[in-house]
Amino acid sequence: MDTDALLLLLATLACVGGVVHAVLALRAGSWKNSRLHWLPLTLAFLLLTGFLYLRGQANGRCPLTTMSEVLIFIGWCIVMMYLLVGPAFRLSLLGVFTAPLVAMLLVLAQVLPPTASPRPARPIIALLELHAAVSLIAYAAFALACVTGVMYLLQERLLKKHQISKLFYQLPPISGLARAIQKLIWIGLLLLSAGLAISFALKIEVSNPKIIMAWIVWGLYALVSLLMWRHVTSPRQTAWLAAAGFAIPFFSLWIVTHG
Amino acid sequence: MDRATAIIPPGSHLVCLGLNYRSTPVEMRERLAFPEEQANVAAAKIYALPGFKESLVLSTCNRVELYATHELADSPEGHEALRRFLAEHFELGEDHLEALVFYRLSNDEAARHLFRVVSGLDSMVLGETEIFGQVKAAYQRALAGETTGRTLNKLFQQAFTVGKRVRNDTSIQRGSTSVGSVAVDLAEKVFDLKQCRVMLVGAGEMSRTCAQSLLSRGAKSIIVSNRSYERAEELATEMGGRAMRFDEWEDALHEADVIISSTSAPHFVIKQDLIERVMRQRRWEPMLVIDIAVPRDVDPAVDKIEGVYLYDIDALQAIADDGRRERQRALSLCEQIIEEHLAKFGFTPSHTPPPPAAGGATTEYSTT
Repeated sequence: MDTDALLLLLATLACVGGVVHAVLALRAGSWKNSRLHWLPLTLAFLLLTGFLYLRGQANGRCPLTTMSEVLIFIGWCIVMMYLLVGPAFRLSLLGVFTAPLVAMLLVLAQVLPPTASPRPARPIIALLELHAAVSLIAYAAFALACVTGVMYLLQERLLKKHQISKLFYQLPPISGLARAIQKLIWIGLLLLSAGLAISFALKIEVSNPKIIMAWIVWGLYALVSLLMWRHVTSPRQTAWLAAAGFAIPFFSLWIVTHG
Repeated sequence: MDRATAIIPPGSHLVCLGLNYRSTPVEMRERLAFPEEQANVAAAKIYALPGFKESLVLSTCNRVELYATHELADSPEGHEALRRFLAEHFELGEDHLEALVFYRLSNDEAARHLFRVVSGLDSMVLGETEIFGQVKAAYQRALAGETTGRTLNKLFQQAFTVGKRVRNDTSIQRGSTSVGSVAVDLAEKVFDLKQCRVMLVGAGEMSRTCAQSLLSRGAKSIIVSNRSYERAEELATEMGGRAMRFDEWEDALHEADVIISSTSAPHFVIKQDLIERVMRQRRWEPMLVIDIAVPRDVDPAVDKIEGVYLYDIDALQAIADDGRRERQRALSLCEQIIEEHLAKFGFTPSHTPPPPAAGGATTEYSTT
């Protein structure tokens, strides 16, 4: 097995291990805000960094040349974002919900059929690499907003239905989750705006399917931000938008990578 | 009785003489309570008694316990010496002393009792954590006063290990067991308590308890409104809040994150259209409504409004009952952990079922 494939497999196992550990701890009611809970995703982050470095060396460019690499890159961004956001919002439990999403992306990346032929060599344009990387980090922020939205909806349901279970005690307060969703959407929107601004500098045609999809995603989250800012939507509706809205950037990846 | 010779030197006895909330009413317990600064003086006096080698005084609102090691002929002699010490220290008359119900525990039983106390299994609220800190403080004082030695040091350090294990490995401290603590738990899962503003509509005893629980956990402010303005003022002053006339509370409702209602009105006081209007004013920021009144003050239709979480007294009570049941379920695992540690320490495992926890029967008491 190649080193990069081994790193990817180990990263996937770290995520799955993190999920199993968290589920067992939650079922036993022994989940605590311990630094140990950060370990699986930190390990996955390091392994994925190693994988992306090796792929970058092999490709001679940012490792975003195939759908698999894009999924892995997004997975890496999500974990990075989680490691940045989680401690700030004291959301160690966010990892429990993030790990399955990242594990799913990594598994999908491994089962996808390999690209038939490598893309034709083209000169490396640093700005283009930056545009792609920044845009995908924005997608990771939206992914984390989606995960946080799911946590909000779950806790909100438990509160509304008077289901004071083990999970209820472990989940953060809904006001904290609502704040985290807002900030993640704003961070994502800011990054995506930067990515699109770079595309202007690159003079990429606006009719390019990738750019059209990026604008659709930008429009969606700009609308959500506006609704949040004007208090038109309730925190619950915002959580729904954050959770369900991620479907659009997720499926747009297909178009982006095959466009 | 088997002895833990590994920890207790040959010829020595570990004894505990005590009384607690189950054996002694509060008016008698308060008579025997040692103020913090006097606990060490008392421990030093016990230490100075003939035959005594170590001593520690644990005095809380729910219990007074004396732990000691001595080299007297047997444990009962040690218990009797401790009882006489208490009588002299508190200047108790013979009739008063006769009325007191002490538990007299030796060696294995004394160690087991301490482990149960530290773990919160002997507390009024099963699994409560405050006792851990109280025992630790008592031990630190005795350590500083140099009245403890090898046996008590080892015993108490092991007790803290047991207490931590019970807390971490079991669900004995999970969930809320009182209406007040349920209200706090709910508020904590909706808001950041430090930013949380509370409004009392009606100044009943139960709502006061809930509000106090919230304030003690850091709630930001409190408004009290009651039909009798004097009563509202009295309660607001007591809790460091603001009183409001009863015809004004509806206008201020949007300022409150948690509403605790307990009026004696025979009809709904908080209706759906009022809360809908308030939620618009609050721009859909969530609101926790706790209805303690019987008959209910809050129209159940309020619960249908988005962002409003309504809990009536039955719902709160059901959650508290679940919490108590959860803790009861964890009890056997806790006892198992305690027996494991006792065995590790050289004590004989118990062959009889442990005394039931709070609310149940008691440690075997002997009346003096």
